[in-house]
Amino acid sequence: MLLRLLPWLAAAWLMAVGIYGMVTSRHYVHLIGCLSVVQSGTYVLLLAIGFVWHSGPPIFYDHPPGTPAVDPVMQALVLTDVVVGAAVSALLLALALQLHKRRNTLDPQELEPIP
Amino acid sequence: MNLLHWIPLPVVVPLLAAALALLVEKLVPRRVIDALAVLVTAAISVECMALARVAAAQPMAYWYGQWGPAHGPVLGISFVVDSAGAGASAFIAGLFSLTFLFVWHYFEEVRAHFHALMLMFCAAMIGFCLTHDLFNIFVWFETMSVIAFALTGYRLEDAALEGALNFTVINTIGSFLMMAGVGLAYAATGALDMALVGKTLAERHADVLACGSFVLMGTAMLIKAAGVPFHFWLPDAHAVAPSPVSVIFSGVMVPVGLFGLGRLLAIVFAGIPAVVSLAHGLLVPLGAVTAIVGGFMALQQTHLKRLLAYSTVSHVGVMLAALSLVTVHGAAGWLLYMLGHGMVKAGLFMAAGMLAAVLDSVDEFELYGRARDRPVLACGYFVAALCLAGFPIGIMGSGAEAVEGAAKGVGDDWLGPIIIISSATTGGAAVRAGVRIFLGKGELPQGRSTLPEESERGDRPWLLMLLPLLVLVVANLIGGLPLERMARAAAATFVHMPAWDVLSGKQAYAAPGVPTEVGGGECSGWLALGVALVIAAAQLFAAKWLKHRVLWPAHMSIKALRVLHAGRVGDQLAWLVAGLAMLTAGVVVASVDW
Amino acid sequence: MKYSLVLRYALCILALIVLAPAAVLVALHMPAFGEQLPAYGATVNAHVPYMRQATNVVTAIIFDVRGVDTLGEEFIFVAAITGLAVLLRGGRGEDASRKPIHTDGRWLPARSEAVALLIRWMLPATVAFSIYVMAHGQLTPGGGFQAGAMLASALLLLFLGDGYRSWRQVTPPTVMHVLEALGAVGCVGVGLLPLALGAGFLENVLPQGQPKSLTGGGLIPLFNVAVGMAITGGFANALVEFLEETREPEAEGEQ
Repeated sequence: MLLRLLPWLAAAWLMAVGIYGMVTSRHYVHLIGCLSVVQSGTYVLLLAIGFVWHSGPPIFYDHPPGTPAVDPVMQALVLTDVVVGAAVSALLLALALQLHKRRNTLDPQELEPIP
Repeated sequence: MNLLHWIPLPVVVPLLAAALALLVEKLVPRRVIDALAVLVTAAISVECMALARVAAAQPMAYWYGQWGPAHGPVLGISFVVDSAGAGASAFIAGLFSLTFLFVWHYFEEVRAHFHALMLMFCAAMIGFCLTHDLFNIFVWFETMSVIAFALTGYRLEDAALEGALNFTVINTIGSFLMMAGVGLAYAATGALDMALVGKTLAERHADVLACGSFVLMGTAMLIKAAGVPFHFWLPDAHAVAPSPVSVIFSGVMVPVGLFGLGRLLAIVFAGIPAVVSLAHGLLVPLGAVTAIVGGFMALQQTHLKRLLAYSTVSHVGVMLAALSLVTVHGAAGWLLYMLGHGMVKAGLFMAAGMLAAVLDSVDEFELYGRARDRPVLACGYFVAALCLAGFPIGIMGSGAEAVEGAAKGVGDDWLGPIIIISSATTGGAAVRAGVRIFLGKGELPQGRSTLPEESERGDRPWLLMLLPLLVLVVANLIGGLPLERMARAAAATFVHMPAWDVLSGKQAYAAPGVPTEVGGGECSGWLALGVALVIAAAQLFAAKWLKHRVLWPAHMSIKALRVLHAGRVGDQLAWLVAGLAMLTAGVVVASVDW
Repeated sequence: MKYSLVLRYALCILALIVLAPAAVLVALHMPAFGEQLPAYGATVNAHVPYMRQATNVVTAIIFDVRGVDTLGEEFIFVAAITGLAVLLRGGRGEDASRKPIHTDGRWLPARSEAVALLIRWMLPATVAFSIYVMAHGQLTPGGGFQAGAMLASALLLLFLGDGYRSWRQVTPPTVMHVLEALGAVGCVGVGLLPLALGAGFLENVLPQGQPKSLTGGGLIPLFNVAVGMAITGGFANALVEFLEETREPEAEGEQ
């Protein structure tokens, strides 16, 4: 029963832990890392939805089409997700870098947009 | 080339233009890129208007790569163009065109990067409105978001970077929630096309997964649309972004989040009773709370852009309430309201941008009386502010009337006063600011504002900045009557999009009838206008008396509101999570009641 | 400020009380893990290999069945890199011979010759492998996105082995920028090509070729290459922007 629930609970846990890290973060780069953890939660969720026991990857180079394979649509979605994650992380890091140059601190508690 | 093949163009052409602009940015003079951007978006706007006309009879479905149900078992991505989606796209492209005029000569130091980003932004928003696939809507959602993050931090000042960081973090969590929601929907149905998912969810009675999926995706849309308690990012982002970017944010990006929520409610989750009753039971009051919070915070601001940002929050609350009624009249109301509000708010932000450009400030007190010698700008500003306050003539006024009528139609009579409060507070704040800036009347406080200086590039052609503002304001005023009927027709198809059986050819499309006008509510507009003028006068001439006599009971709550909106990312995240929990609890209650 | 922290934790705990049971409830109602392939995936696995002569079904989905998603994703990436360039502008110039910033207390070790030699061997191999992955996108695991990321990182190996100046010589920002823009134009162009031939946008009307051949899949290899170019250019640009920030400022007041 636990094995049945494990992937979904793992995904939920990753997202929860990531958000907890972000809420209590004291450094923006740590916060960006926690964002990646939340994202990993979504990867686990999507890939687990597409998984099938006793199946190979949806690459039919060595095996003929028709051999059992996992869900390729989920893999395509996760690929897009990865690219999106990379893009957003790059932007966040650039913002953090510029902020650090100006304020010499990256503590979210210290920084507030409008005084 | 048959008409259907014109459907991808509103998305593809701006993308191509953006890529070309990046390719030739060092070879070609800036004027050419400016002109290209204006012309491309204007052409797209005209095309979308034509598409809206054609789609009025029946929504058109376009399957990319011929991966449609008519061509085989494998499904691809489709764009289903209905008049609401095409009309929204026409407005988006048109507003971008006017904004490109507005930024003529601005952003020179980044060469064509700004224009490329804005063109991609336009394409993404149009794609968001036209698409019919759950993951595709996520892709365009993400494109919009990434561009918005970069543009918010453009000015590279402390406030801009911090505002952009908070904006990015909150909205990215929204993206991840949306991704998870799409995953749950896929797990429940094995499909990604919205109509097919809607049909399968209803057939399989997969209520728990459907509710979970809606809560996640709905939260993501509400974050983008800045409903309470997900709205904390909006004032910070609007205040620090360059004004042309704020024009786009308030004018189209934030309402487009609601458009997405509307699509979800109308197509994907229409057959899940728990979701529909959650919408009516929780989202309508949430919209009302947003309207009130936004309005009261707007009254507290002296920074013009933050004031306008809070007024966007307030009006979005009204739109959220209208949308969540899930009726055709509600949809007609919020479509009109979205259009009118977009025009008016865009005009107001353009005015703020012009003030920042020539007077180097957007603070009410700093600008006290300094814009006295700009009569045309003042006229444009005041007309827009009065429309914001509820002036009944014009698209925004008709929209407010329609929303009130729709609410009465389902028995939610209390929504009418909420609309009046929202219009009165936001309009009153805008009028008050205008009187201080353009007329130089009203009390001055002691001391100076602590906000940093706001200056935007000043040596831009004044006419090219003024013209878009005037076009928007005039269009809002004269468009009310003609568009009112079109909005009802568009709303009818919006709420009754073709079901999967229609799209796969098994059934013919039964065009929904256009409902009759639901009248009443015109005097509410005048009432709101009157109250707005009274509020403005009170804040201008009797501020101390207000503070001591009238407001002291509310003093603690106003102070608490200000502290809450202080802008730390950890707090905003906590509210986000709490909001997610609220929606979850709501859906549990809604499903039990059913 | 204390109130804000207390409020924050209170909100999170309240949210947890509601969300944790909800998550468990949703998990209980999820389809059994690994038991059945979702309908969409099953249909794709059954039909697409025959329709498109592509043995890598994931690539066929990305570049053909759901090509518009990839177009959007490509432009997310281009937009992010463009935004990055806007945010990190006012950089330290294109002079590639600048010294790294000296931070007190941090010691910059000299580069070891063994590392330089190893990198000079690894670099061409990795670049060749990246191009292989890109070319065989529709046949074996890989494709434009993966190959682009590998290529940009492979070039970065030169920074490890031979230093900042050599790496900048291999990745001149203008060339990388043009590569990225050309890739983006290529992606849209690949979609418009069928329109010119009278078919729909991104419809795979080119000859499908033989199964298991490099030119199989019609439009897929073209789209693949365009995406690969754009990703390479984009990542290289991003790396240049970030690494420029580690150089010493040139003049007074330059950030």
